[in-house]
Amino acid sequence: MPLDRKVIEPRNEKLNVSRNFNLPHSPGIRAGDFIFLSGMLSTDPDTGERSPGTMAHETRQTLTNMRHLLESAGSSLERVVKINVLIYDMLEFENMNAVFKQFFPVDPPARTTCGVQLSAGMKIEIECIALAG
Amino acid sequence: MAAGYGWVQSSAIRAGEFLFVSGVVATDPERGERLHGTLTSEAHRAFGNLRLVLEAAGSSLEQLVQVRAMIYDRIEYDALNRVYRQYVSKGPPARTVWSVRIIDAFKVQLDAIALV
Repeated sequence: MPLDRKVIEPRNEKLNVSRNFNLPHSPGIRAGDFIFLSGMLSTDPDTGERSPGTMAHETRQTLTNMRHLLESAGSSLERVVKINVLIYDMLEFENMNAVFKQFFPVDPPARTTCGVQLSAGMKIEIECIALAG
Repeated sequence: MAAGYGWVQSSAIRAGEFLFVSGVVATDPERGERLHGTLTSEAHRAFGNLRLVLEAAGSSLEQLVQVRAMIYDRIEYDALNRVYRQYVSKGPPARTVWSVRIIDAFKVQLDAIALV
């Protein structure tokens, strides 16, 4: 019997970026005991528009939205097991890391950080795998 | 597919109900030849190869849960999406597009996790 595969979505519809921008992916998929999230950019939870800013701002907004999405599916940041952080320039690593630490104060998840090109001049994109609720 | 190039990797590993697939690129599934082309042609071939790997393991494109779609340049993001949406079903997998340098100068590489 195969495991269930279920699309998960944020309670706040403004944060359903893949639907609002008509992109060919889901916000996340629950499969068995795990939740797989798509890469998330800094999005304003009140307007649904991109919210560019400093690396600190974008990191904080992205992780806040990730927390909301995980909690919408009965999970939480504490249950993240692997996280991939994509940033536009590795020179900003410490600026990302300082904010990241506030969201994962104890036993942080496994993490990989890469410097890559991102869309629309955004500075950070984050994806993860978490245990379900 | 990868073995012919001496790459030290398996096409995929099954662990429990999950299948972890190595990055798939546009190679000829019969002869192993590299099929460099446009982003569009490479994306079609890579999805064809991904389907072969998944189906060989008893999975399918419909059972994908997370994909890292790698492209060589962000400028091709929309070109990727046009091909991509032809291969993923309703309730598509979680996805992140990584703009990175890809082995052997390929323009697309698909890294995936699926249910079996």
